[in-house]
Amino acid sequence: MIALEKVCAGIGRVQILRDVDIHVDPGKLVLVLGANGAGKTTLLRVISGLVPLWSGNLRFDSRSIAGQPAHELARSGLVHVPQGRQIIPTLTVEENLIIGASHLPGITQETIARRLEAEYERFPVLRTRRSLAGGSLSGGEQQMLAVSRGLMMGPKLLMLDEPSLGLAPQMVQRILGALAGLARSGISVLLVEQKTMALEIADHAYVLKNGAIVHAAAASDMGDHSELFRHYMS
Amino acid sequence: MSAANFVQLLLSGLAMGAIYALTATGLFIAHLATTRLNFGQGDFLMFAAYLSMALLLAGVPVALVMAVVIVVLALMGWGLERFAIRPLDRMRALVGGQYSWILTTMGVALIVQNVVTLVWGKSSQYSPPLFSANRQNVVQVFGAGVFVEELLVIVVALVAILLFYALLFRTRQGRAIYAVAFSPETAALLGVNVRRTVVLVFVLASVLAALSGVLVGPIVTVHPFMGLVFTVKAFAVASLGGFANPLGILIGAILFGVVESFSNYINSAFGDLYPLLLVLALLVIKPSGLFGEAKTDVR
Repeated sequence: MIALEKVCAGIGRVQILRDVDIHVDPGKLVLVLGANGAGKTTLLRVISGLVPLWSGNLRFDSRSIAGQPAHELARSGLVHVPQGRQIIPTLTVEENLIIGASHLPGITQETIARRLEAEYERFPVLRTRRSLAGGSLSGGEQQMLAVSRGLMMGPKLLMLDEPSLGLAPQMVQRILGALAGLARSGISVLLVEQKTMALEIADHAYVLKNGAIVHAAAASDMGDHSELFRHYMS
Repeated sequence: MSAANFVQLLLSGLAMGAIYALTATGLFIAHLATTRLNFGQGDFLMFAAYLSMALLLAGVPVALVMAVVIVVLALMGWGLERFAIRPLDRMRALVGGQYSWILTTMGVALIVQNVVTLVWGKSSQYSPPLFSANRQNVVQVFGAGVFVEELLVIVVALVAILLFYALLFRTRQGRAIYAVAFSPETAALLGVNVRRTVVLVFVLASVLAALSGVLVGPIVTVHPFMGLVFTVKAFAVASLGGFANPLGILIGAILFGVVESFSNYINSAFGDLYPLLLVLALLVIKPSGLFGEAKTDVR
């Protein structure tokens, strides 16, 4: 679904990503683990077109997407749920859900209504909050809203930037449970995290350190967590 | 003050207030989405008033005049963003670069002023009425003679504002504007074309100046240097709404217009002073605007 080959990128003149190779196959959940400052957020921002690619190849749905503007990628099914959830506080929950979907070319009101219903089924709490301002939700509710808002856009690939950040463990489990369900239903998921909790639901995992992939394996083979931690936290 | 006087002053104030609301909403919408605005908003209004006057005097029907002025000002809004604001964004890294739009939009305002002076001269002129047969057409309201023109200006301006609010709060474009206002990057990730939305808000701001200019022409005298006063007053009014709250802007504008109308009656030499003092006083008490608090929206 998405393939990165020897991707280099940075912010300003500072290089952050060095020759990163990552593959996410259709319907798979891939996890990228990394410490603070490893380049996880930049990785997702390069893929979604917010940060320019310096060199290397970026292919989405087997076509090159380097240099394509972010809003066009978002409309073509490459959906990025950014760090810190970025719920628009002045819009209601329902407006937040609709906003992305309503900018898809050729989408009908019926499709939007059907997807809205599906998201309210997935996270019933959003239905009860539908007419409240997005800014008034709790952190966990905002994360559910952010995931649902992304799914409203009918993604082929859903990328999430540390959805567990600042959430209670039960809430993290709920979000991860929903993501595992997505992968089973055929949506590819690329998840970047600092915590290893998501290894349980991932198919494949990469470890990012100082902007380079230092380890890649099937999630089940990532094995001894403590050793993994040493690998990327130091 | 007689009751008739009171009604007349109140309606004059409402008419001007409605126009300030239109002009200030233009400042608000541009600032909301881009944290930039057109310091020549009043001069765009002035140009719209002149253009409308010229077309009306040439015998063009009112509806067509409106349409032409709106299209011309929309193009000016596009040009302003494209040539006076956007190029500076690339230089944002320079010291003070993020505020250079203040100078460039004021520069455009000066150009507009001078073009108008060149074409129509420096002296004050009277624009023909839009809706009634002549400027002195009067109807009786509560026993007071009131200009038909003023009544219709109030109605048209309020309808325009309500339509604008509907656009802002009920449409895809309105949600896109709020998304860009919150964060251009988040908006882009949601499939919003940020560049186009920014152009849209400047076009909308200019269209609001166009409406204000067409409507204000017949109820004031027009001259090439009237713009700055409108920019200042619109700025004051937008501050009453905290630059964030459309309802605060509407109520603040009407309050401003009515106070101005009465203060001109009581002291015509310093009529413009008292409403501005009132705004200052209100901002001292409520720095974030009439309905400010921590909220940025009233829905």
